[in-house]
Amino acid sequence: MSIVLLFIAATTARGVAAEPAKVRFERDVQPIFSAKCLTCHGAAEKRGGVGLSDREAALAELHSGLYAIVPGKPEESELLRRVASEDPSERMPAKGEPLTAAEVAVVRRWIEQGAEWPPHWAYRLLERPAIPDPANLAYAEWAQTPIDLFILARLEELGLQPSPPADHRTFLRRVTFDLLGLPPTPEEMEAFLADDSPQAHQRAIDRLLASPHFGERWARHWMDVVHYAETHGHDQDRPRPHAWPYRDYLIRSFNEDKPYGRFVEEQVAGDALYPGDPQAIIATGFLATGPWDESSLRDIREDTIDREIARYLDRDDIVHTVMATFNSATVHCARCHDHKFDPIAHEEYYGLQAVFAGTGKGNRPLDADPQVAKRRKALQEKIAALPALRENVDPRLLAPEVQEEIAAWEAKLANAASPWVVLEPETYSAEKGSTLTKQSDGSLLAGGERPETEIYTITASAPIENITGVRLEVLTDPSLPHQGPGRQDNGNLHLNEFTFAVNSSPADLVNPKADFDQQEWTAAMAIDGKPATAWGVYPEVGKPHQAVFELREAIAVEGDATLTFRLEQTHGGGHLIGRPRLSITSAKAPLPLDVNSLPDEIAEVLRTPPRERDNQQRASLAAHYLHEKWTAELASLPPQQLVYCGSNDFQPDGSFRPAAAPRPIHILHRGDVRQPGEEAQPGSLSFIDNFGGAFDLDNPSDEGARRAALARWLSDSRNVLTWRSIVNRLWSYHFGRGLVDTPNDFGRMGATPTHPDLLDWLAVELLESGGSLKHIHRLIVTSAVYQQSSNAECGLRNAELFFSIPHSALRTPHSFDSDNRYLWRMNRTRLDAESIRDAALSVSGMLDRTMGGPSVKQFIQTPGVHVTPNVDYRNFDVDDPANHRRSVYRFIFRTLPDPFMETLDCPDASQLAAKRNESVTALQALAMLNNSFMVRQSERLAERLRNERPELLEQIERLYELVLNRQPTETELSAFAEHAGAYGLANACRVLFNSNAFMFVD
Amino acid sequence: MATTNHSRRSFLSSLGGGLGGIALAHLLGRSGLLADSPRAELNGGLHHPAKVRRIVQLFMNGGVSQMDTFDYKPELEKRHGEKIDFGLTAAATSTPGAIMKSPFAWKQHGRCGRWVSSVFPHMAEIVDDLAFLMAMASKTNVHGPASYLQNTGFLLPGFPCMGAWISYGLGSVSDDLPTFVVLPDSRGLPYNNAGNFSAGFLPMSHQGTIIKPTAPTPINDLSPPDWAGHITPESETAGLALLEQVNREHQESRSDDLRLESRIDSYELAAKMQLSAPEALDLSQETTATHRDYGLDRPETADFGRNCLTARRMLERGVRFVQIWSGMGGPSKNWDNHSDIPRELPFIAASVDQPIAALVRDLRRRGMLEDTLVIWTTEFGRMPFTQGATGRDHNGGTFVTWLAGAGVKPGIAHGQSDEFSYQAAEGKTECYDLHATVLHLLGIDHERLTWRHNGIDRRLTDVHGHVIRQVLA
Repeated sequence: MSIVLLFIAATTARGVAAEPAKVRFERDVQPIFSAKCLTCHGAAEKRGGVGLSDREAALAELHSGLYAIVPGKPEESELLRRVASEDPSERMPAKGEPLTAAEVAVVRRWIEQGAEWPPHWAYRLLERPAIPDPANLAYAEWAQTPIDLFILARLEELGLQPSPPADHRTFLRRVTFDLLGLPPTPEEMEAFLADDSPQAHQRAIDRLLASPHFGERWARHWMDVVHYAETHGHDQDRPRPHAWPYRDYLIRSFNEDKPYGRFVEEQVAGDALYPGDPQAIIATGFLATGPWDESSLRDIREDTIDREIARYLDRDDIVHTVMATFNSATVHCARCHDHKFDPIAHEEYYGLQAVFAGTGKGNRPLDADPQVAKRRKALQEKIAALPALRENVDPRLLAPEVQEEIAAWEAKLANAASPWVVLEPETYSAEKGSTLTKQSDGSLLAGGERPETEIYTITASAPIENITGVRLEVLTDPSLPHQGPGRQDNGNLHLNEFTFAVNSSPADLVNPKADFDQQEWTAAMAIDGKPATAWGVYPEVGKPHQAVFELREAIAVEGDATLTFRLEQTHGGGHLIGRPRLSITSAKAPLPLDVNSLPDEIAEVLRTPPRERDNQQRASLAAHYLHEKWTAELASLPPQQLVYCGSNDFQPDGSFRPAAAPRPIHILHRGDVRQPGEEAQPGSLSFIDNFGGAFDLDNPSDEGARRAALARWLSDSRNVLTWRSIVNRLWSYHFGRGLVDTPNDFGRMGATPTHPDLLDWLAVELLESGGSLKHIHRLIVTSAVYQQSSNAECGLRNAELFFSIPHSALRTPHSFDSDNRYLWRMNRTRLDAESIRDAALSVSGMLDRTMGGPSVKQFIQTPGVHVTPNVDYRNFDVDDPANHRRSVYRFIFRTLPDPFMETLDCPDASQLAAKRNESVTALQALAMLNNSFMVRQSERLAERLRNERPELLEQIERLYELVLNRQPTETELSAFAEHAGAYGLANACRVLFNSNAFMFVD
Repeated sequence: MATTNHSRRSFLSSLGGGLGGIALAHLLGRSGLLADSPRAELNGGLHHPAKVRRIVQLFMNGGVSQMDTFDYKPELEKRHGEKIDFGLTAAATSTPGAIMKSPFAWKQHGRCGRWVSSVFPHMAEIVDDLAFLMAMASKTNVHGPASYLQNTGFLLPGFPCMGAWISYGLGSVSDDLPTFVVLPDSRGLPYNNAGNFSAGFLPMSHQGTIIKPTAPTPINDLSPPDWAGHITPESETAGLALLEQVNREHQESRSDDLRLESRIDSYELAAKMQLSAPEALDLSQETTATHRDYGLDRPETADFGRNCLTARRMLERGVRFVQIWSGMGGPSKNWDNHSDIPRELPFIAASVDQPIAALVRDLRRRGMLEDTLVIWTTEFGRMPFTQGATGRDHNGGTFVTWLAGAGVKPGIAHGQSDEFSYQAAEGKTECYDLHATVLHLLGIDHERLTWRHNGIDRRLTDVHGHVIRQVLA
């Protein structure tokens, strides 16, 4: 298109010199090369020695000895001869359509003019461009902001003129949907229309930018960009109940106008860079927005090639997401070979994979309150330091105030002797081959090859005469995974059935109680007679636990009675008890749970009278005491919340565990995990002018440090892509199209900016404002280009009056800029799926404006046959309060998305969606007509109208004010009144919800 | 790759620039103005003459055991019970067991002498119509990625499936039914659920429309909810007329915006679909004999048979691509026979065998095989050795697919697996080749049907794919 424009611009219209315009490489020539040449003559493949990726390559001597381009000499340039050739056998491109005559002419003139070839616009240094001088512009009075001067200069260059401002109603409806994703209320409209001061627009904009709904609207855009959803997306499409804090983080960040650099850093490495800030940890939810292949990454065997492939693809998803989101770079094109068109090397791609070599996706615990986080961290550090203090008999442990506390504790301890008597095992066996070794404390340590299932049988004689209860302790041991208490890889155990017999006659166990029950795996299940259920302790592994059971009737025993315990652990998967210990009691019910049974060594110290203890013993005791005290204090802190995010610190999920250290990453030949090459070092790209991508890491095995280095590289003011990319995204959402039409591709095959200077000016403006996105939003929505009319015809008609120029002198832009790339009018936008839904709720009066919290399920969820639940949208109660929340709070199910929202072009949440497609189909019309949500909202709206206005005609007027933000015309009033009279008000509401006037914003 | 086709598409897309390019294309496509809409002189193809105008794909979800159905291996009988080292320490979910022969009886069938096991007695009767790909291979042994791979050509979610690409490439044959219809197993959706029918990054209008013939509302939102008593046929007629009136008035001063016109049309199409969809789904119009042929009279075949018969009616009425699924996600009620081949496989096989044979015969009888392609496939095969006592684990190494109908050489087999049916040995084909072949038959060059997404001209066949000439007529 731009070529055609160039010619028209050069030969006609006012304000343009009669001289042939200067050809600009990236605006005029680059698009031709990208479309016709680069596939075979790009950076990677230079067929025939012809490379058109940069000037150096393009001017080089060819295999044939000729030159593709000789600056200033078109007749000597082989490229020109070949593209202009009439002979199909030598004409380029070899495949596909030849260049048009206009395109050939552009190339010819570009070579004539010296074949200037500036560095690629996206990679070059960012400098503030000069604002076009209004003195040179015919319509300068139209401009409101510097943005307008950039737009106007280009329009005038092309012989176009801008459109006059939209009327006030249109403007408020436009800017309210744009900034909030909601319609203005009739009252807001009235107030705005009544404000005839020059600051009216400004005031409305300030109000909207300060609204909390602003964050909801712009978070939803961001969620598209980063493919946010709340399930895994593969065959095991498991819901992620802890994904939503990231969504709330986004809303909060946009509302608070978090500086963009910080926003970038937090999402990539907030945990490493700002460890004290819980929001910064939640921000790393960004790294885990994408799909996750549970079958391959968790369920299948770890030693399979499929697991290896899945890890590689999972890292690719993170790398791709990070680089597309923040740098609009298509690094994933360098997975199998050097990027064909952009200067991204194969090795560099794997350097980025290495950054995430230790990053896993999972639920990470954190404290929402920074004070609690601080306290927890302090306690954890103090506890972690204890062994060393004890080892060194540190004087701090012997300090009088500590020893005093210990004395008081000892006194209390003496008064509360445990009622439990530990049994000494006499015989013990394991049916499936585990070894059991008796320990000095009466426990049995299991070892040997771990079978899938196991049954322990343990006998002992009774040291007391009356038994009222039994206790099973499952203790930790350094030899067990995660120190136990179970033998499963994750430290868990499952006790399916537990029985106790005295002289072979079974005792009836009741009132089971444990110090900790795994969710849905309680101690009661160990005595329920059902082999499928069991007691478990996950995720509280790494610490001892105990379960106690009362005897329904106390049993009196003789001296030689044999007590037999049977511990059935038949769940499978090696969920076995690592170190059991049994006790009995004659205490009265309720039986106590001894949470703090003392280690042998400490019991020994306590048996030594205080005065006789040496310092080593005192230090040990103090260390034990402080450990218990601080552990209790930790336990009393408010419970931690979980966030599903990317890090190396998350709760293990089956066999998917945090990596101990970043895994080695190899450069894969053709992207094939079976063909590993050299090991890649963590680093980023080097495609930006004067800004390298190498990392200087003190400790490369620190997973967080790798991400932190990348985060800093991304947020650096020298990373020009970061700043260009985000202002383009904002522009894109405000206007329906970016200054660069490919928001995720700023490379050579991406679109060329329509206004490169404006793009750079905005990027610099963002940087210099300290990264304030709201500053950019404000600049954009206060501009005349944003505020102009969207109506082509109307615009032209009014332009006659507005600019006082005769119609005959106006150029009709339809013929050569009908798609409005140069913004001679505003774009009309169709409401997106969320705005349609939210607007319907808003006008029906049903919108629940509650912010934040767990996502609302607008479907019935029932257990599926396996991991993936069944999801039923159709039978969901249309009046359920969950339906009344804003759409940004919908629970988004990857493989079972809401059909209504999909029909309205909600993107597939497994793909990064930089911009949405827009479709018109019969199924969409059916959804708007018949979807129960829409039908019910039209009924609710009818109720509201009846409540608010007594008369039918008033009701119709109100209907129009609410849905279209205007009064009905006389014809409309009578037509809708007639329809409502005949078929009811709800039918009239339904018609207006389906109208183009509702679905589109002028 | 920057072909005519692509550049015109980009042109049209940029014309609306995400602001109606699609709507415009939709309008132009319907009125025959779109340059790369099906070309009459190519029999509806885009790049070369088409043989096929419509497709029905039968997808057996879970991984059909090839050596127990179509891939006869005497070697397994000889070495039954032997432990053979395939250099594999672990299959997807288990440790390799001993070689297990097929527990079923095998016979040669048809003039072509194709071996078929006793689990498919009906399909055995139509082997002379079928072209077998005996050495299909998958890149993965895991259901989720494998199903994505067979449907979209990628291991990950978010890519358009074959039906969506075809819808994008060729558009609809008729206006009043969806272009791409999915008939899931009546018990539930397959692995990956609707992810298998996604339009990915293509416009949503290309994704599969799920039809559940026996559900109260077989197509989402085809009619108003039952409780909406205020919506009557009269109110509907008057309402649509009023809607058109307000839309026309709105459009008058905005006539340059083709999206508005397009939306007005879409309501007309919607009204047509409301009439034609129930008619297409009304199986009572079929004879008792037809019902019996498809197995609708017997509970074990009724569900799948109903979907097959519905598919035929859809194809007749202009649906471009119908995908029928056998098997739901999860550990059972599908082809994922991990624990007991002798017991599990015959059961699920019997549910599809007669209906599939009936569908192929019915299409032939009606002359529809002249321009219809039938594809029978699955996401991977199974292992020659046991899992547990008599089950088989996943095996992407080799599996069987067959084609029938327009443009396909009947009664042949291409490729073969090794003596154990462990790996593809000769004439190995992958989903890319199958997809390239299907597009080829539709008159589409698979390298030229592209969509630019995040910097890459994406294709159904990624960077792979060769048309399997050996099976072309």
